[in-house]
Amino acid sequence: MAELRGSHGDQAHHILTSLFGTPDLHTLSVYESKGGYTALRKALLDMAPADITNEVKTSGLRGRGGAGFATGTKWSFINRDAPGPKYVVVNADESEPGTAKDRYILENCPHMVVEGILIAAYAVGANQAWVYIRGEYDEPSRMLQAAIEEARAKGYVGPKPFGKDFPLDIRLYRGHGAYICGEETALLESLEGKRAQPRSRPPFPAVKGAWGRPTLLNNVETLATVPAIINRGGAEYAKLGTAKNPGTRLLTVSGNVRKPGVYEVEIGKTFRHVIMELAGGPPEGRVVKVFWPGGSSAPVLPGSMLDMTTDAEALAAAKSMGGSGGVIVMDDSHCIVKAAHRLLQFYAHESCGKCTPCRIGQDWAVRTYERILANEGSQVELDILQRVSDGLQNGRCLCGLGDSGGWVIDSTLRHFREEYEDHALRHECRVGTVAPPALRATSPQVGRT
Amino acid sequence: MSSPNKSALPTHILDEIRELPARYPQPRSAVMPALDLAQEELGHLTPEAMSEVAEALSLDPGYVEGVATFYSLFHHQPIGKHRFYVCTNLSCMLRGANEVVDHLKQAIGVERSDQVSSDGLFSFEEVECLGACEYAPMMRLDHRYFYDLNDQKVDALVAERRGKPVVTAEKPKPKRVPRKKPGG
Repeated sequence: MAELRGSHGDQAHHILTSLFGTPDLHTLSVYESKGGYTALRKALLDMAPADITNEVKTSGLRGRGGAGFATGTKWSFINRDAPGPKYVVVNADESEPGTAKDRYILENCPHMVVEGILIAAYAVGANQAWVYIRGEYDEPSRMLQAAIEEARAKGYVGPKPFGKDFPLDIRLYRGHGAYICGEETALLESLEGKRAQPRSRPPFPAVKGAWGRPTLLNNVETLATVPAIINRGGAEYAKLGTAKNPGTRLLTVSGNVRKPGVYEVEIGKTFRHVIMELAGGPPEGRVVKVFWPGGSSAPVLPGSMLDMTTDAEALAAAKSMGGSGGVIVMDDSHCIVKAAHRLLQFYAHESCGKCTPCRIGQDWAVRTYERILANEGSQVELDILQRVSDGLQNGRCLCGLGDSGGWVIDSTLRHFREEYEDHALRHECRVGTVAPPALRATSPQVGRT
Repeated sequence: MSSPNKSALPTHILDEIRELPARYPQPRSAVMPALDLAQEELGHLTPEAMSEVAEALSLDPGYVEGVATFYSLFHHQPIGKHRFYVCTNLSCMLRGANEVVDHLKQAIGVERSDQVSSDGLFSFEEVECLGACEYAPMMRLDHRYFYDLNDQKVDALVAERRGKPVVTAEKPKPKRVPRKKPGG
């Protein structure tokens, strides 16, 4: 494995990462020697399924994939007594730009994920779990598969885990390159062997999910947190973090910082702490110009707002969000218009094509950015960007991909109007060190063909 | 040219594909794993191969093609024996990914993602975030990730795959070990 970049080792606020860095932690024997699988044993032998769900509710854990929904509440939506198969589907399709924390967990401690999955499956009455893992994650897939096989050999995965008459099984399903599969209903379509286009809701997956059956969908980090909650108790976990966002989460800090990495942070710490202290701040002589607080889809915040906290409520008040925890930092040597253009290329490429505003709008924005960056812009282009941005947002699309592109345009325009005007009206760039990205070698498809 | 009776996929692959549907709650889920097997065999998905996958799974050929064209890891044109998937999304771009791509193009003598080097060894593609942003700029090659890319690393990867010794003035770096001290 490559050099570990991020949190590891025992610290007061390290819940997920305290064991990271232990040699051979990915093996079952080392994980168990450090207390691994005690939470699963406790859940299966000493707790009723409803107690497990209540413990997770008490912890206040919110989903770490991006939407931040209350995890225990989500679990309680599954009718455990409904006849027929039920599924746990794990979203390991980590693709939000600037987010690498699920990979960090899977490569360091795959058994923690396996344990969390098994506890969740027992709590909601599912005998079968499926992990939908992105196809590019070769090494994490291999490690997770090896962990499942080790757990199977021990009987933790199998017909009678810890002697309990409740069969548990986990299987992997490899994705094949589509950002949209991070959206839960698109993921389910893909798992069913279809083009990954989001479904309209209701029915929600808890009622009609994978293969038409009740399904619990959770993110890797969310499930990896569950063993700690069962071991410590929900109330103890909730002592960390803020009242509405308890606990810790993993923030991937990338871009123009000296120590990029995946850092476990108590929710409520400021971005100044995360970016300037943990990640070492921008390179010598540079200042933080802008940062994306929660993946590329989270509306940007200017460098003047580093004292913003990582709490979801505070971020929402500043018209942004905690999202996937991907903190992308850009310093003052880079151009905001070029950065926004690159992200719109991404959203245009990844649009599944189902909803017209997203399929057409994202591409329209890319073409408008290209005119601006080719010094062919005017007030007309600025107005188009604003109109396209409005058209992408506010529930005009089935899923959040449309909004996300709109937020990139809207937030960068709002905070960096002058730089846009430099480009569009005066045909100049106040920073010009990034090679012009206007023509990518791989010209993006218009949506999905 | 192959004769019309000759199938694109060998019998043992088709047999393997026919066994896939039983592994899933509904048989349709087998379509992606089946296309995976076909692509692994042929390097890319030809219309004939997709038809044979459809037949083996009792699905409509148009349906299978519809799935295969949705996902970017399925290729529909020949690719090099080694394909460089270089991330150029924001986190990598901010740390020099575009320059890495420019250098790679020169090193392998390929200008665009739909071209293959004349020796058939190399092709490349700019891809979206691969989820290893703390190691930017990075790429995927031969089912592995490669980190902290620069011109020398790209040259070395290309040379290794050409089977020529790596010429480098730098002395080899000592293998890095994880820091003992807690980092965060």
